Amino acid sequence: MGNIMEKRIVKKSNHTEGYQRHKLINSVRASCLGVHDFVGSAELTAKRVCEHVEQWLESKHEVTSADIRRIAGKSLFKYNPDAAYIYITINEIN
Amino acid sequence: MKKNKHFDYDLIVIGSGAGGSVAAHIANKAGLSVAIIESNLIGGECPNVGCVPTKALLQAAEIYEAAKNSSKFGIRGANVGYNYPSIKAWKDLAVKRTGTYLGEEIYSKEGIHVIHGSAHFINPNEVTVGRARYSARNFLIATGGKLAIPPIEGLEKTGFLTFHEAINLIRPPRSLAIIGGGAIGCEFAQLFAIFGTKVHIIDIAPRLLAREDIDAGKFIEERFKKQYSITVSMESAVDKVESFGGRKRITIKNKQGESQIIAVEEILIATGKRGLVDIGLENAGVHYENSTISTDRFMQTTQKNIYAAGDCVGPYQFTHTATYQSRIVANNIIHPRKKISADYQAVPRCIFTNPEIASVGPTEQELIAKKIKYKQVNVPITVIGRANTSDISDGFVKILADSKTGVLLGATIASPHGGEMIHELTLAIQNNMKAEQVANTIHAFPTWSEAIRVACAKIMRS
Repeated sequence: MGNIMEKRIVKKSNHTEGYQRHKLINSVRASCLGVHDFVGSAELTAKRVCEHVEQWLESKHEVTSADIRRIAGKSLFKYNPDAAYIYITINEIN
Repeated sequence: MKKNKHFDYDLIVIGSGAGGSVAAHIANKAGLSVAIIESNLIGGECPNVGCVPTKALLQAAEIYEAAKNSSKFGIRGANVGYNYPSIKAWKDLAVKRTGTYLGEEIYSKEGIHVIHGSAHFINPNEVTVGRARYSARNFLIATGGKLAIPPIEGLEKTGFLTFHEAINLIRPPRSLAIIGGGAIGCEFAQLFAIFGTKVHIIDIAPRLLAREDIDAGKFIEERFKKQYSITVSMESAVDKVESFGGRKRITIKNKQGESQIIAVEEILIATGKRGLVDIGLENAGVHYENSTISTDRFMQTTQKNIYAAGDCVGPYQFTHTATYQSRIVANNIIHPRKKISADYQAVPRCIFTNPEIASVGPTEQELIAKKIKYKQVNVPITVIGRANTSDISDGFVKILADSKTGVLLGATIASPHGGEMIHELTLAIQNNMKAEQVANTIHAFPTWSEAIRVACAKIMRS
């Protein structure tokens, strides 16, 4: 359903912005590194999680940032449960 | 929740199947502005790929079988044959006649706005569909279910059928493994077996129709084995599936750990459905668990302006329970001060095998589990005159009643027209009637329903 970068993300403040892959990659990678994962492994995990999220996004046009967190968190849990815990918890605090 | 009170619609219904359409029509007639969002075919599963096409195919199978076995009635049926593409054409006609083809037109004529696409909640009052956003005061989630595909090694690679594809085959497969021995599995097993397919049913449950009374499961298994030479592997799981010389090789493991390998032309997955809940429910504050949306007895979700009905709610995944829930939702939206609640005391359940298996209320196993004291009778259908005139030699009516009061609790019927017969007992159970009251009601001779009167009379005396 169109270009992935055209997907709209509704933020907490209710404003919307375009989907930015690098933001998702960076946040997942940071969570992995936060639990002392290797850099290469963190990169690979972030890429896989990103692919999963983008696949889920395919049939949708507009979702919330909470949706992205939830789907990414679920996917990350399969690869690195500790990082997923950090990823979900930190985002909830923020 | 949106702060201003101006919404695009009074009600947005997500899903145009049985759980959604009824409420949409009722709310619209009551003067509410209604929109309906559909991501697939108008009308949902039942008329397009579910009950209607399956029953149309089963009707053809029943006629074929009856014609083949007609010589005992003095009718020459030796040269009876079938043309499966024509049977499919008949099925397509039956689907067409449901009105789903004109569904969108009917909605539009009534003033209901039909929106095509997948809905996704952004907040409790807004959904997005494609690039558009729609707001509503109330929502009804009736997204239905998606097929549950078991995680079997090699299954994706070899390919498989679900009932969506099985209804559109242009010829019956030569051999078929059905994974799942529930209602759908049994109906397709009999359908294809009648048309000459060698059928093998595999299920992890201890018996066929595991959710129904134990006598129903035993009855259908015996009939399948005896009359249709269907192989039944219960308490068995499919370990892996692989392609082998143009066929599909299935490794089955039983409870004892023994392996068996079978080769079939096709595999049909009939392991049930799960509610379709990937619509941003979290953003709307709607709670769900195990793909089932939580609702109270008024069909309200954890977000009070959002209701849910149908397969995504349960406790049953029937068209008739979905329409029932949908009517409740419509009433509760239109009359918020006069809410009505769902009552599942007497929900009829029908399996359209030949003979039909129909039941209502708890099964004997459920009464035992709940430690309810009951008495039961199982009357063979052969005791009534109609079984004689129709040359039917098997089937039964089983009645469960309170051991002290005689109030009817549950019933299971295995009989021709069992799906019609069950409604007498549904009415009786719904109204807490005693077996005596049914037994004292005159039943016409010679009808199948006489067996119900006989069973009720017998349970009175027991």
